Amino acid sequence: MAQSEGPTPGRIGTTWTPSGEVARPTWGWILQAVSGALVLVLVTLHMIANHFVVAGGLRDFADVVAYLSDPVVVVLEVCFLVVVTWHGLLGLRAVLFDFGFSPRAETAITRVFAVLGVAIVAYGLWLTWTITSYH
Amino acid sequence: MSEQSVVKRGTEGASPRRRGIAGWGDPRGRRLGGWAFILNRLTGLGVLAYLFLHLIVLSLLARGPSAWDGFVSIAASPLFLCFDVVLIFGLLFHGLNGIRVTLVGFGLVVDRQRAMFVALMIIGAIALVVAAIHIFTVG
Repeated sequence: MAQSEGPTPGRIGTTWTPSGEVARPTWGWILQAVSGALVLVLVTLHMIANHFVVAGGLRDFADVVAYLSDPVVVVLEVCFLVVVTWHGLLGLRAVLFDFGFSPRAETAITRVFAVLGVAIVAYGLWLTWTITSYH
Repeated sequence: MSEQSVVKRGTEGASPRRRGIAGWGDPRGRRLGGWAFILNRLTGLGVLAYLFLHLIVLSLLARGPSAWDGFVSIAASPLFLCFDVVLIFGLLFHGLNGIRVTLVGFGLVVDRQRAMFVALMIIGAIALVVAAIHIFTVG
């Protein structure tokens, strides 16, 4: 679609690009932006709580069990797992779509990634449950 | 009328001459935003690879204290600490550049995005140095 007015700063749904093209938002892009913002907050918390305030930079087993005995920590870490999985797989999907697959192949990729995402979160929940059961 | 076309969201920084993966390595017509786009994708792929590795390593926790604590002692080696700094570079670049991409994508600070990119990268460089000093001194 031809655009004659060029970049339109301040209007949602358009963006300046190096080649002067105008991009339109897709649901994938909006979900990626929202999950990216959430990941930014949660990864910062995760890195500080698990590495930067911990002596030696990594919790030992007893310390991990004690850390996950706090329900607020469990909720935050599970939220982080869900959001980072969502953002990572959606990003990899975007990279794969750059190969120019057929619409049918793109649908298959989306479905495989949805299953993979659920499996990753299920694994994380199982692991969290296993660790907390040591408490 | 200037020649403009609709491009896929998220591929705005790709080379205007060659789309797709082949366009990543094409330097023609590429400006700062284009290089930021490539580095954003490479750091994204790197951090995602790390995430999978991290989740696999965490399975040691399910095998009990001796399995996990054995890994903790290995992870304190200088080689692992160097990987930690590389990881933090990836997180900082991807996260800070992501702020710019998101704001611009929603039509905000579009005309000041180059200055914003430079400012975010300066913040990132300072954070990386502070983190690296912390990792190699405090641990």
